[in-house]
Amino acid sequence: MKKYIIFILIAILGLTLAQTFKAIPFGADRRGDLENPDKVAAYYLKESPETLQTANSITAIVVNFRGFDTLGEVTVLFLAATGLASILYRKEEEDEEEVERVRLPSSSLVRTGAKILFPLMLLLGIYVFVHGHLTPGGGFQGGAIIATGFLLMLITYKHFETNHKVMVWLESLAGLAFVAVGLYGLFAYGSFLQNTHSVGTLNDLISGGLIPLIYIFIGIKVGTELTNILDILLKIKKS
Amino acid sequence: MDTLNNILEYIGLFFVLLGSIFLFLGALGIYRMPDLYNRLQAGTKASTLGAMSMVLGIGLMQPGWLIKLIVIILFIGISNPLSSHALARASYKSGIRPFFKKKVDDYEEEVESEKGKMESV
Repeated sequence: MKKYIIFILIAILGLTLAQTFKAIPFGADRRGDLENPDKVAAYYLKESPETLQTANSITAIVVNFRGFDTLGEVTVLFLAATGLASILYRKEEEDEEEVERVRLPSSSLVRTGAKILFPLMLLLGIYVFVHGHLTPGGGFQGGAIIATGFLLMLITYKHFETNHKVMVWLESLAGLAFVAVGLYGLFAYGSFLQNTHSVGTLNDLISGGLIPLIYIFIGIKVGTELTNILDILLKIKKS
Repeated sequence: MDTLNNILEYIGLFFVLLGSIFLFLGALGIYRMPDLYNRLQAGTKASTLGAMSMVLGIGLMQPGWLIKLIVIILFIGISNPLSSHALARASYKSGIRPFFKKKVDDYEEEVESEKGKMESV
């Protein structure tokens, strides 16, 4: 009986999806004319290298054209971290005895390798978010790479501690800086998160106006936030 | 200069071909081997060598990228064997034993003695 219900549900789902896809013309040009853009995709592709001098159009869309949306995304991540922390928070005093992170010690090979790999992973993460407007990747990806480096250290070493206060301060300051850049746009150019008019030249490290600055703040924020989440989740009670 | 670039490109193509052969063998090994340890070994050895020679081949074809790609090769060389070592060790400790019965298993004794130590502490 259960099998048939699942089968019917899958069939309904498939039919709905098929109806949706039928409405999209297959192989049609949805980008529009690049020279005189009448559709939003062509507009983004034309504007991001020409007026914004940003080599990576996706970054231009995420940080500039839809920067306000990105601010919302960062806030969602912040809320998730805060919620987790408020559910799983323990007082510092009882931490010492009851909470431990790793049950079994790692082998010396892994410990030595983690020491070599950790700074390299941090470097890669920073590289990815600093070059967010030139190459694929950006603040969110770079932050995730940094958090992976911290995760490696957290699961390898029993006594590796991230400085909680520094992490929280960095996270909050990066979030504030994002809003401050937005307010700068509001006061200097008349709308929230408005980019500067002096945007530099295409493919330079300093180009795209405020885009690299915002992506650096996002990278710091996402990296510290994900590290905090992992740190909280990895602390388990001693059985 | 032009001939040198041509020669480098052909050497690079050879390395890419070699790398793709090794990557294919690694995939085949993961599909074909009987248990976790054999699969890990096939996946690690073949794919490490395959990825390294592929990246090196691309570096020879595009000499401007060579330094970055050498750093990537070093990274693969450290991280790939290390992660499979950690995986194999963790799975042995959680009780997965090799498919074929072995006559000598030194690691079993060590794990047993470690268990004793953990419980005494």
